[in-house]
Amino acid sequence: MSTKGTRIPERLMITFGGITPAPSQEKGQDLFPTGNWRAIRPVYRDKLPPCNNACGTNEKIQGFLDLVKRGKYLDAYALIKEDMPFPSVTGRVCYHPCEQACNRGQYDEAISIRAVERFLGDLGQALARDVVKAGPPNGKKVAVVGSGPAGHSAAYQLARLGYQVTILEKSPKAGGLNRGGIPDWVLPQHVLDREIERLVELGVTIKTNVEVGKDVTWDDLKKNYDACVLAVGLTEPNSVRAEGEDKEGVLYGLPFLRDIGMGTSKVKLGDRVAVIGGGNTAIDCAREALRQGALEVTMITVESNLQEMPAVPEDLHDMLEEGVELLHGRAMTAVLGNGRVEALQLYPARFSGAINASPININREAPAERFVVDNVIIAVGQHASLNWLPDEFKNERGTIKIDSFGRLGDTNFFAAGDVVQLGSGQPLMVVNAVGDGKRVAFNLDKVLCGEPLQPRSVTVDVLFDLNRMNMTYFPHFPRVQQAMLPPTSRRKTQEEVIQAFSEEQAVEEACRCFSCGTCNACDNCYLVCPEPCIVRPERSNGLYKILVNYCKGCRVCIEECPTGCLEGVPELDFDTGVVRMDTAFAISPGLHGRQAEELRHLAERPAKNI
Amino acid sequence: MATATATTKKTVRINGCVAAAQAAKYADVDVITAYPIRPYTATMMALAQMVANGELDAEYIVADSEHSQLSIAHGASSSGARVFTGSSGVGVTFAYELYSPISGSRMPVQMMIADRTLDPPGDFGSEHTDALSTRDMGWLMGWSCNAQEAFDNHLMAYRIGEDPRVLLPQMVCQDGFFVSHITSDVELPDPGQVKEFLPPYKHPYPLDPRHPVSHGPQIMPEQGPPLQLERARAMEESMPVIEEVHDEFAKIFGRRYDPWLEEFMTDDAEVAFFMQGGHAVTARFAVEHMRERRVKVGLVRLRTIRPYPTDRVNEVLSKFKVVGVIETNMGLGSVSSGGSLYAEACAALYESSQRPLVVSFMAGLGGEAIVLKEFYWMTQKMTEAQKRGKIEKRTHWVGFEE
Repeated sequence: MSTKGTRIPERLMITFGGITPAPSQEKGQDLFPTGNWRAIRPVYRDKLPPCNNACGTNEKIQGFLDLVKRGKYLDAYALIKEDMPFPSVTGRVCYHPCEQACNRGQYDEAISIRAVERFLGDLGQALARDVVKAGPPNGKKVAVVGSGPAGHSAAYQLARLGYQVTILEKSPKAGGLNRGGIPDWVLPQHVLDREIERLVELGVTIKTNVEVGKDVTWDDLKKNYDACVLAVGLTEPNSVRAEGEDKEGVLYGLPFLRDIGMGTSKVKLGDRVAVIGGGNTAIDCAREALRQGALEVTMITVESNLQEMPAVPEDLHDMLEEGVELLHGRAMTAVLGNGRVEALQLYPARFSGAINASPININREAPAERFVVDNVIIAVGQHASLNWLPDEFKNERGTIKIDSFGRLGDTNFFAAGDVVQLGSGQPLMVVNAVGDGKRVAFNLDKVLCGEPLQPRSVTVDVLFDLNRMNMTYFPHFPRVQQAMLPPTSRRKTQEEVIQAFSEEQAVEEACRCFSCGTCNACDNCYLVCPEPCIVRPERSNGLYKILVNYCKGCRVCIEECPTGCLEGVPELDFDTGVVRMDTAFAISPGLHGRQAEELRHLAERPAKNI
Repeated sequence: MATATATTKKTVRINGCVAAAQAAKYADVDVITAYPIRPYTATMMALAQMVANGELDAEYIVADSEHSQLSIAHGASSSGARVFTGSSGVGVTFAYELYSPISGSRMPVQMMIADRTLDPPGDFGSEHTDALSTRDMGWLMGWSCNAQEAFDNHLMAYRIGEDPRVLLPQMVCQDGFFVSHITSDVELPDPGQVKEFLPPYKHPYPLDPRHPVSHGPQIMPEQGPPLQLERARAMEESMPVIEEVHDEFAKIFGRRYDPWLEEFMTDDAEVAFFMQGGHAVTARFAVEHMRERRVKVGLVRLRTIRPYPTDRVNEVLSKFKVVGVIETNMGLGSVSSGGSLYAEACAALYESSQRPLVVSFMAGLGGEAIVLKEFYWMTQKMTEAQKRGKIEKRTHWVGFEE
């Protein structure tokens, strides 16, 4: 009997026939720790999707799209609400920098993120009670001046943090730019009203017809509140410094829209209307002019073509569809007419340097053009009205001087929104103001809690490069288009132009999301792992676990990760979860272990003479 | 459960293939995996009929090759099924990859082999080289010499292989055509007897989703030797089990076999044949004839070659002056430059204090019968060597020499 007298050392004892608990079981892989073969370790590292990164308030866009894809609409709505108080509004009005950044745009067409956001926002509107609750009261009072996007956002976040928030709004109705700067056919008033109701439900007090500098002073704010957020926006329209701007029939863009929005407009437009300016407000004014009865609307821009205009391309397209004419490369130098506008004097003009960021060169040597109109709407931007603000907090741009945390010096005053962003290089848009309001609210909270304000030090890895994903998993698939009212009928009504997604459309569009760099629990790694090294205790997002004792580092999961969330990290970068053996083939210190020990000390020995 | 129709034992006239199929039926196998190749195919034909007729309730899986056939057998056995499979010739060798994993994972798969010569060219006659080429893969292995013995060996092999002390696969071999296709009387037992003899198969760690285990995981090099040692131990420790099972078989069925060696007229024999399989039937006639001519010749038939009964072979063969090994297999370039059985016999005899002369006969190759005349010729070669005290040469090619 050859096996008589043999003994298997305890360290090498294995179960019958090498049959072991399954590697998917706890301790199942201890016996065969093949993890020590591995040079590269797969690691789940979620990157920031470019949409989240581009969003002014960093909505977790990939996250809510994923939830919509799974039919978890309420969860998706709740996720949006972390960063965005009124998705029903931004779902309609946002200039969606997320869609411009969407990686799918490089591949076929960007995801229609705004439409999905609107789907969720409208779902939130239909809820009897909102999912968001006010935080436990901390007894501190904060005033928010202005109820536009920034003020609304700051008040919302502060209420969630437990502050007693009072909004001071100078207009008779709350909403600020949301109400006064956005036409009804983009954002119906009742949608905004419902969002403001939600804010009131959170415990925020809104005082309308209260103007800072008139009804309350700087000192009142200082005295009556623990802190204050100034989100007063840009209320005063810019002039083009043309002669005769004071003539009757000359209107300014934002007040024109605001009066219509507030229901206080007394304007009656003539047949022929010119709009001066090439931006988004100018577009809204031109389209609104059609709805206010104008028959011919011409947009006069210094920009010499469509591409140069600082406007959202689809809005521009929709405007042209509605029949607005464009006249490029002109500047208005005078409003002609006897007391009332009759015509405009135009000269060829262009920017002296960078488009929209340099002085305008007007060629007065060229013959002047006379452009006959009944009204002209000047929409070339606006500025702040800050008479009430102590001079020390004013800057050369005519906005509020703040530090990088939105704070005015070492006061408990903070400022957010257009009133700080104008001229900062940031495009002025609702979502940026919302993000500003959110960040300022959190900074304010830190200051009142006595915590230091520190800039974010973690570098963010935004996934822009499609090569970091596995594109073979993504067939080309066109974007789901939102239905629109036909141009001929819509140009005369206040009805919403762009129609909502159906549930099916929202899900279909959400399914197109690449989930750039972020685990969306697609199960691919789990399925392709040639051994059960990837376990899935729960079938939900991001909850895979790699059994590093067993994983041999074959990289299949990394290569086959559609989203690029799985990365191969050199094993030497780790000092935890390491199954590093003395040598590649030893599970315990034995012969191999001794060899390894010798090898380890090789460097310490004197060199041999060979 | 088997729905065996026989309620009492009965004698039927069947060939070796059908006897093997009957044994599988009596053993109430759960899974049969088949791929056709002559001559064993007849076994699978018989089993297919039994399953189709409802005589046997088993999964009958026709694989796409012998490799798949054995892979299926492996998997089925891992899940706790009693498995029956089989093959012949190049079919046996095509499935070679699976032999070590099946025994290494200690799955008591049973494989019926009706020997066939390995190619080339396509000779379908019997030769033991097919099964013998796998003899060191950890399978229990032995040859039957007639249909009854084949039936009995199949039942005993299941009992031995499935014994918790053993858990090893078994190759139950019979010569193609000489045994597989020649009919003789076979006594089929009462199913109750089989039930008493062969308890249901129960692997200690079957694959079961409710209690997951890992079969055949990747291991470290240093973890390999302990597993090999355990497999070697199982092979050795099967020897007392084999003896126990033969005893119990005799008690229940009334047929007693020596588990290791059949001795025929060896009591005062001076020269003896050492061989396996069906040609032993002819050899018995030859020995009887020569005994009439007062030639002191005997016959030793090896019944179990794995595990190899070294001590018994030593003890029995040491009684003779000359041993003639009838190979019925090819061992090209081997010790004797003939067959592989010579080396097995000689190695067992090495420690003997009275080693006989050993000579190897290349006979029964390619399906050729070994005729009486050739047994006489071989006996003459042995008696000459006895007289001379020395062999003429290690290996004789029978039929090709004067």
